[in-house]
Amino acid sequence: MSSQTKDLSQLKRYFFDQNTTDRFIRFLMDKAQLIAPHRKGEKSYSFQVTTDPQKVVLNYPRTIQPLKKFFLPPRETLLEFELNKKPKVKKPELKPQERIFLGVHSYDMKAILLLDYGFERGKPEENYFVRREKSIFIGIAYEPDEHHFAQDLGIDIFDTTGFSLFMVPVEKGFLVFEVDETGERILTEFGAGLPLGNEIQYERPEYAKKLKMHHNRLPQIFEHVYHSDVWKKIAERCVGCGTCNLVCSTCYCFDVFDEVELNIIAGKRERRWDSCMLNPFAEVAGGENFRPTLESRTRHRLYRKFKYITDYSGELYCVGCGRCSKYCPAGISIIEILNELIEDYRRQQEQHAVAMG
Amino acid sequence: MGSIAAKKEDLYTPIIATIDEVEQLTFSEKRFHITLPNGQELNHQPGQFVEVSIFGFGEAPISVSSSPTRKPGFELTVRRTGRLTEKMHQLTAGSQIGIRGPFGHGFDVEKFRGKDMLFIAGGIGLAPLKSLIEYAMDRRNDFNRLIILYGAKNPAEILYPAEIETWKKMADVELHMTVDRPDEHWKGNVGVITTLIPPLQLDLENTIATIVGPPVMYKFVLMALKAKRLPDANIYMSLERRMKCGVGKCGHCQINDSYVCQEGPVYSYLRIKELEEAI
Repeated sequence: MSSQTKDLSQLKRYFFDQNTTDRFIRFLMDKAQLIAPHRKGEKSYSFQVTTDPQKVVLNYPRTIQPLKKFFLPPRETLLEFELNKKPKVKKPELKPQERIFLGVHSYDMKAILLLDYGFERGKPEENYFVRREKSIFIGIAYEPDEHHFAQDLGIDIFDTTGFSLFMVPVEKGFLVFEVDETGERILTEFGAGLPLGNEIQYERPEYAKKLKMHHNRLPQIFEHVYHSDVWKKIAERCVGCGTCNLVCSTCYCFDVFDEVELNIIAGKRERRWDSCMLNPFAEVAGGENFRPTLESRTRHRLYRKFKYITDYSGELYCVGCGRCSKYCPAGISIIEILNELIEDYRRQQEQHAVAMG
Repeated sequence: MGSIAAKKEDLYTPIIATIDEVEQLTFSEKRFHITLPNGQELNHQPGQFVEVSIFGFGEAPISVSSSPTRKPGFELTVRRTGRLTEKMHQLTAGSQIGIRGPFGHGFDVEKFRGKDMLFIAGGIGLAPLKSLIEYAMDRRNDFNRLIILYGAKNPAEILYPAEIETWKKMADVELHMTVDRPDEHWKGNVGVITTLIPPLQLDLENTIATIVGPPVMYKFVLMALKAKRLPDANIYMSLERRMKCGVGKCGHCQINDSYVCQEGPVYSYLRIKELEEAI
């Protein structure tokens, strides 16, 4: 995974007032399919295909769903088949499509780069990479709320990795930064004019640290808390609904089902998002369940974020988007789980120090 | 990230294969002999598995129960346990099914060269192990002793009666069987499989134990082997999980940090000890 973060101060910048921004959105819509944050209900937001530039909302805390739904759809047909004496199998045609994702926060971008690793590891999956290959991302700075903790995990609000352009809201418009060659091409075609000097400044949103330990030490903590009481404590409040998996930016587990049409001749094989928090997830044919308790499933979910894939990729698989905390019906916060694990680890270290005298 | 377009593989489309023989083995188990189209061979390692598609019913991971030395084609031994396997049991010779694979890591036969092989199978665990047993018999000079321990619930559930009769007659194969519940004709051992272990005379350093059976069996067999002081490094086992995709993506077979469909299903006991959820 390449991670050359370009500092905004080194990038060419342009000023777009509200009018120019509207024109820019229309320009992007003509160029490719444009996906941007929209309002969904009164308080929620969702990434959607843009049909009306006026409906794009660039100032939003987070969308309900991360971007993964555009690369790993919630339901996807893997095969179509005919059930004659000699079964015929057809794979639905997958065509790469130019797509521009506008108004993406840095943690959601990071999640896509992490999914790239998951779908490439072992064997690179066609279905994912066909959707991924012609995607362009335009980032935007955001104001962290109570659930965001991406900065604690080393993902800065102004992190430009993965983006072609990056926008920072300023008075009466946006600063638009040219991050890579694709971004440069887009701005040239749009006719963005001449870049600015450094005269317009932008502010760094305030952020108070939420985790009690530096993120570099988290994988080490997870070496010591497998048998922690914290899992049981969390599991007592968890209702096992799997919402945390569904809204997670980096969860990509799935299940596969065959469905047959009423004529019993045609059918399809479909994959659907699955959730390791649901009871049957680790069940085998004979009925044995290898993670039969909420405690073991909660632990598995967290270990997948901070240890299991991390041991191979070096990357944390939580991006601090705060979705699992915000949408948990039991009010369980991942920040709280992590801090309790950190506390537990510290207690262990103290006891160890005392024992060693 | 520039090379995204270059890397893509169709991972989920099966090959259409033909069942050319079906044999009822026990009340709930059948053996299917399968050939791939155009004279293709599976080229699996003993212990690997394939994903079997019964279109309209889904896909299931099933271990190959024949040795790669026995071509053409390969065989699968399938127990009726759910919708898909129930449907598969209704299929007859000439039926077509989908096959993907082989997947995962089987037994590392090169490492076992020259060793005494101790095969320990419980119930349908004999199916995956048969691929290794037959391999060792077909390459007999590559191995030293061949010791087979097999435990079944009752005599009617003995999986491969024909093969077992042949193995019994082989002078250079030591076969020990036991059943939990005998019937009136049974003259052999009665008891769980671990009762077969204490009497064995083993050259500990040069014995490789391979274990396949139901989840509950592993801990007890390991205890019995440890009591004999067989080194942990000489023990291998194959684990059962629900490998849905077979290609390390879907997450269903994951044991801690290990995807069984990639790293397993055959593991060294040294690795199993690091995986808390394994057994």
